[in-house]
Amino acid sequence: MANPADSGDDLFESLRKQDPKAEEKAKLVAEREAAQNAKAQQRLMELIGSNSSLPVTVSSIRVIGVNHTRRAFLDRIFDPLLSANRDAPYTLGEALQEVGSAADKLRRFEIFHPSLHTFVDRPSPTDPSSTPTDIDIYLKAEERSRISLKTGTDLGNVEGSAYGNLTWRNIFGGAESLNLNASAGTRTRSAYQATFETPVLSDPEKRITVDALQSSTSKPWCSHDEALKGMGLKYSWATESGTRHQVGYTGVWRQVTGLAANASPTVRHDAGDSVKSSISHTWLSDQRNHPFLPNKGYLLKTVSEIAGWGPLQGDVAFWKSEFETSGAIAVPVPGIQGDSGVSLTGGFRTGMLYPLPVGFSSTSQPSRINDRFQLGGPTDVRGFKISGLGPRDGPDAVGGDIYAAGSANLLVPFPRVGKDSPLRMQFFANAGRLLALRDLGEQGSKSTQKSVYSTVAQLADGAPSLAAGVGVVYAHPVARFEMNFSLPLILRRGEEGRKGLQFGVGINFL
Amino acid sequence: MPPKQTTEKGHSDEKVPSDGTQTSFARQKGKVREIFSIPAPIKKLFDLVPVVVYPANPLPQRAPKSARIPSLYVFSKGQDAAAGRPSVNPSCLKWQTFLNIAGIDHRLVSSNNHASPTGALPFLLPAIHNSDSLQETLPVPSNKFVKYATEHGGIVEESASMRYSAYQSLLDHRIRNAWLFTLYLEPLNFSAVAYPLYVASTSSNPIVRASISHQLRNAAEAQLLKHTPVIDTDDLYSEADKAFEALSILLGEDSWFFGNGKPALFDASVFAYTQLLLDDDLGWKEKKLCRALRVRDNLVQHRERLLVRYYGGS
Repeated sequence: MANPADSGDDLFESLRKQDPKAEEKAKLVAEREAAQNAKAQQRLMELIGSNSSLPVTVSSIRVIGVNHTRRAFLDRIFDPLLSANRDAPYTLGEALQEVGSAADKLRRFEIFHPSLHTFVDRPSPTDPSSTPTDIDIYLKAEERSRISLKTGTDLGNVEGSAYGNLTWRNIFGGAESLNLNASAGTRTRSAYQATFETPVLSDPEKRITVDALQSSTSKPWCSHDEALKGMGLKYSWATESGTRHQVGYTGVWRQVTGLAANASPTVRHDAGDSVKSSISHTWLSDQRNHPFLPNKGYLLKTVSEIAGWGPLQGDVAFWKSEFETSGAIAVPVPGIQGDSGVSLTGGFRTGMLYPLPVGFSSTSQPSRINDRFQLGGPTDVRGFKISGLGPRDGPDAVGGDIYAAGSANLLVPFPRVGKDSPLRMQFFANAGRLLALRDLGEQGSKSTQKSVYSTVAQLADGAPSLAAGVGVVYAHPVARFEMNFSLPLILRRGEEGRKGLQFGVGINFL
Repeated sequence: MPPKQTTEKGHSDEKVPSDGTQTSFARQKGKVREIFSIPAPIKKLFDLVPVVVYPANPLPQRAPKSARIPSLYVFSKGQDAAAGRPSVNPSCLKWQTFLNIAGIDHRLVSSNNHASPTGALPFLLPAIHNSDSLQETLPVPSNKFVKYATEHGGIVEESASMRYSAYQSLLDHRIRNAWLFTLYLEPLNFSAVAYPLYVASTSSNPIVRASISHQLRNAAEAQLLKHTPVIDTDDLYSEADKAFEALSILLGEDSWFFGNGKPALFDASVFAYTQLLLDDDLGWKEKKLCRALRVRDNLVQHRERLLVRYYGGS
């Protein structure tokens, strides 16, 4: 007989040892399951494939698990699928495709968990209201929690912030959402925003948004703080080709305050309150294959805004228009087959601010510092400090009314790391020019036109301010990080270039 | 690697610096700075760029033209600033008159509180001469005006008697409190006088105007509640009346306060309130405080004298 102490040890040891046979059994079972699933999928695909032209009529669609969603809202998505509402007969393939796109629409509202299951069944033959070709469709959806609270950090163009966010989803059962956001950051000292969004006519691509905002941003390149309080109403839609539009009205009370001790007279003159009431339109077409490291495709974006003219009233009136384009092509390298990972990207941005008379008066007012453009910075024209280009009064970058900037970047993968990593070496050259409207000393609407023409002509006066350099790019899923060594080659007196290392984080680079 | 100086010094005490050599700590600091300074070849490269420097970009249309005389930023209405008319705010008017008395040549710019380095008007922006250092072009807040005037050739004669500060406190507290009440907290006066001067000029939007009116009234009320727990209108007016009486007695038959031969800062301080209370163009509706002042003839004449002397009559 074995020693009881020994048997105790043996018991523990035998428990601790993993039974190789049990492991093998578990593996076999898992393999068999996987094989069965694969076979089931295969059978299903064959079944659908061979029956895809089977004529069917969709007699009912049931959506399971949507307790808080309005009936009318779902009706608008699923009514067109019912055979009773269609003139032409269905085939099985078409029916499944339609159901798939409807399920995709439901997913895009973001009020359900992404996993939506679709089941197809034949109704019981004993049901008198069914025909032989009838099928029933069941959609199983799981609603997301109605209220969610999120806190975190955010990275934008050269700014970092911490935020707290409360989202209330599906408020009235029609995928409406209310979003409350409070954030504090390095540049935006405080920002509070409330956004109410609802899709129109159960279409996830058409949305109406109402938002209210209160923020205080510090602008050290201009020696002041800007406090904003405003509200906006926007309508956005997307066309089938993937271009997005947004039209909206914004009313904003801006206050230039908190001037630094050495602020220039230009900034002191513009200090105080002004109200901007404007209608804007944004058009975006992004056909690039990657948002941060594209090597194919193009991007086109225009933003137009008209403020203060006619019934809009307010304190400032202008027509502002910005155009941005960017493209990328892959560069084939002679020795390497297929995708070499080397790509050439280029970007071009231009904008114009045209002053208009406020309301129904006849003389147009010159632009204020809140509305003018700024140019320069690690995500803009690299090699210059933030707002380093353009007219300057003393230490302040007072902004300009017309600008144009372009860049060309060659992205090369590192030799040892390879083209699959998100790291690239970058050789860039970029240039820009920011000008304020010339003061011709005349009055009247003709003088504004003349002034704009002469300023646009001045853009081509001499070479644009230019910088070139080399650096490293890292395309993180959240943002694009860059570390560049740059040299400003051509400048205007007063413009601030950055000699040496410059670090940039952002979403939207030139 | 030990620096060369120690081997030369040998056993001498490193802590005590002898003439012309640094302490070890200073030397170590220098070494650390060298690590972070730009290496020589890159420095040469930096000296080569920028290759071309064009002349500066012209400023936008709203930028004020640089002036050869200092600019005083005050509250003023309409075209008054260009014409050199008296300001509509007591604090601005006091310092505007002081600069006129001291003989400092200046021009007026109509502005608001946000433009000021201290958050309150008036302030002075010195004229820009090319030889000025950065310090000299900084704005001058109102509490440094006397010093500025003395440094820039103004004639400043101030008497520093005990009575002076006592009478100054009359102005700063009793008369100022009554002024705040009559301008901001009397509803008729607020809409007739304060609204066009301080609110209408900020923006054309009614919501913004309502918000700013609300802020102004609250600020005035908070200021008054600092000294008393409850705002007693009769008390305020009677205190102001007594203060006017005291000032009238102080002036007596003289032309200028304290028997001076020429006006001084105290005259400017009194003028700041008398001018605004006696100015009918402002459109006062509730005239209790104005009437209390008008009874004192010599103060009315004192105001006329200053108005004629520095602002070309009424």
